[in-house]
Amino acid sequence: MANVITGRKILIVDDESESGILRAVRRRLEQEGWETVVVEPESGYSLGEEFEAATLWSIEQDLPDAVLLDVRFGEHRDDQFRGLGILGEIVERWPKLPILMFTQYAQGPDRETAVRGSLKWDSPVDFIDKLASPDEVVLRLRRLIGTSPESIPIGDQILVDVNARLVYIGAGEYRTPALDIQGMKFEIFHELAATWYRSPGELVAFSRLERYSEGEDPRASLRVRIREIKNAIGKGLNTRFGPSELILNVRDQGYRLVPPKL
Amino acid sequence: MNKLFISIRIAGGFIAVGGVVCLILAPLIGEKVFDKLWLIEPLTYIGYVLIVAGLGVAVVSYVGSQIKDRSIHAMNGKNPGNSWSETTLQYFQLFDHDLGRPLRRIAGKERELRAVLQAGPGEVDAGVIDLLDEIERQTPNFRLMMSNIQVLIQLESPDNDEPLQPVEPTEVIRRISDLYTAVAAEAGKEITWWSEPAEMGLVYANSNAIEHIVTNLVDNAVRYAATHVEVKLTKNPSHFFVRVWDDGPGIGQQYVQHLFDRGWTPEVVKREEKSSSGLGLYIARSLARQSGGDLTVETDDRADGDHHTAFLLSLPSNLTAPLNGNR
Repeated sequence: MANVITGRKILIVDDESESGILRAVRRRLEQEGWETVVVEPESGYSLGEEFEAATLWSIEQDLPDAVLLDVRFGEHRDDQFRGLGILGEIVERWPKLPILMFTQYAQGPDRETAVRGSLKWDSPVDFIDKLASPDEVVLRLRRLIGTSPESIPIGDQILVDVNARLVYIGAGEYRTPALDIQGMKFEIFHELAATWYRSPGELVAFSRLERYSEGEDPRASLRVRIREIKNAIGKGLNTRFGPSELILNVRDQGYRLVPPKL
Repeated sequence: MNKLFISIRIAGGFIAVGGVVCLILAPLIGEKVFDKLWLIEPLTYIGYVLIVAGLGVAVVSYVGSQIKDRSIHAMNGKNPGNSWSETTLQYFQLFDHDLGRPLRRIAGKERELRAVLQAGPGEVDAGVIDLLDEIERQTPNFRLMMSNIQVLIQLESPDNDEPLQPVEPTEVIRRISDLYTAVAAEAGKEITWWSEPAEMGLVYANSNAIEHIVTNLVDNAVRYAATHVEVKLTKNPSHFFVRVWDDGPGIGQQYVQHLFDRGWTPEVVKREEKSSSGLGLYIARSLARQSGGDLTVETDDRADGDHHTAFLLSLPSNLTAPLNGNR
C-alpha cells in the first residue's frame, strides 16, 4: 500500500517549538505522513542570530520540502522581526523553497505588504496566524508545496490509491478494493477526492466532471455514475448514503465530497 | 491633503527658481542688447519679487502642513513625531502582543488536552469535547477582531494609500474557506465554495481588502446560517464578484438600510447588549467602495419561504498593473 505522501520533510524554525500550539501542529504534520525537523541552535550568540545560522545550516543538511518559520524570536528588540531577516536569507539562497511564515505579533495587512514588497509576487512564501488550527496549517502547506499524494485517505475507512487506480474500503487488515469503482467512476471519485484534499469546502463544477461521462445527456450520465459510486462504497461499509452524504449535489452547480461520519 | 501641501511647496520652489533665472538673465540681456538696457532694472525687480513670492509660498505651505499635523495629533493626544496611524498602530501592536500571548497559550493547552484525551483509553465525555470545541471556535473571533481594528486604523488614516498587487482571487477565497470550513463543521454547518471559471487568473487589486471583506462576510454567514453557507466567485470583463449566501433566518427589510452603519447591530433596536462591535460590515463596505467596488445585500426573512441572506461584493478586475503602482 502506498504511503499518503512519501519523503516529505518540513523544517520548523521557532523558539517556542515545545509550546502547545507547535506541538499540535507537529503532531498533525506527522499524521499527514510528513517528517518534522526542529531547528535547535547551539548557544553562544543572541537567540535570533543562533536561529539564523542554525536554520541555514539545517536547510543545507536536511533539504526540507518546506520551512515553517516564525517571525519573532524571543523578546529582545533586535529579534522581534528576526524571522523576516531569516526569510530574506532563505529566499536569496533557495528562491524555490516554500516557506510558511508563522506570524504572531502585529501581523496583518501592513506587515505582509511590507514583506511582500521585497519578494517576487510568485515567491512560494505565505503567511499564517499562529492561532490557526493545525488542519489549516496542513492545507496551506499542501498547496504551497504543490502536493499531489499517491493516496488520499478520506476518514478512516476510505482510501483512494492513485497509482493502483483503486478505491479501498475498510480499515487496517480488513481493507479491500471496491472493484465496482474503476475507469470513469474512479476518475470522477479521484477528482472529487483530490479537490477535497486540497480544500475541503471546494465544489467540483459539473463542467469539470462531465468530461468523464458520455451520451446525449452527460449530466444524467454523471448522476448515475455518482449514485453507483455511493452504492459501491456504501456496500463496502454496510451502510446506505443518503442524498446529503458522501457526495453532495450543491444547488445544481456541481458535486462536493463530504467524508462520512461512521 | 498632504499631497496638496507638497504640490504648493513645489510650485513655490519653481516660482523662486524663475526669480533666480530673471536675475541671471537681466545683466546678460543688458550686456548683449545695448538698446534694451532698460530691461535690466525691471527684470531684476521681477526676479527679486518672484524669489520672495516663491519662497514665501513654500514657507507658508510648510507651516500650514505642520499646523494641520499638530492639530490632528493634539486631537488624538499622540506624539507628533509619528503620523496618526503609525502611533495608533503602535498601541495596537502592543495590545495584540499582550493579549495574543495568553490566548495562544490557552489555544495550545486546549489542543494538547484534546490530543491527550484522544490518545487515552475509553470514550471521552461529549460535554468535554463541546467545551474544547467552544475554546477552539473563539480563536477565529480573536483573529478577526485584531484584523478589524488594524484595517479600521488604516481606513481612517489620512495617509491611507494601499498599493495594488497581483492577486489570484480564487486563492484568497480558498484560504478563507479553509479557515472557516473547520469552524462551521464544529457548529454542524457546511461551507461550499466554487469559482467560475475554476481558476480566475491574476488581477491587480488590494489583496488585503478582498481577504478582509470576504472574511467578515463568511464569518457572519457561518454565525447566522442554519446549515449551509455558499461562497461563489464569478467575473465579467470589468469586474469580479464574490457572493456569500447563507440559509439563515434572513434580515428584516426595516433593518437592511442600517446594516452597513458603523456600530449598528440588531441588538441596538432591541436595546439589548450588543453581541458584536457592529464594525465588520461597515468596514467591509467602506473598503469595497474605497477599492472602486461595492458591497450590497439581498435577503428574505419570511419564515415559510426560502429565507436566506446573500451579500454581493463587486470589485474592478484590473488586468494590468497601474502605471504608478498605486491607486
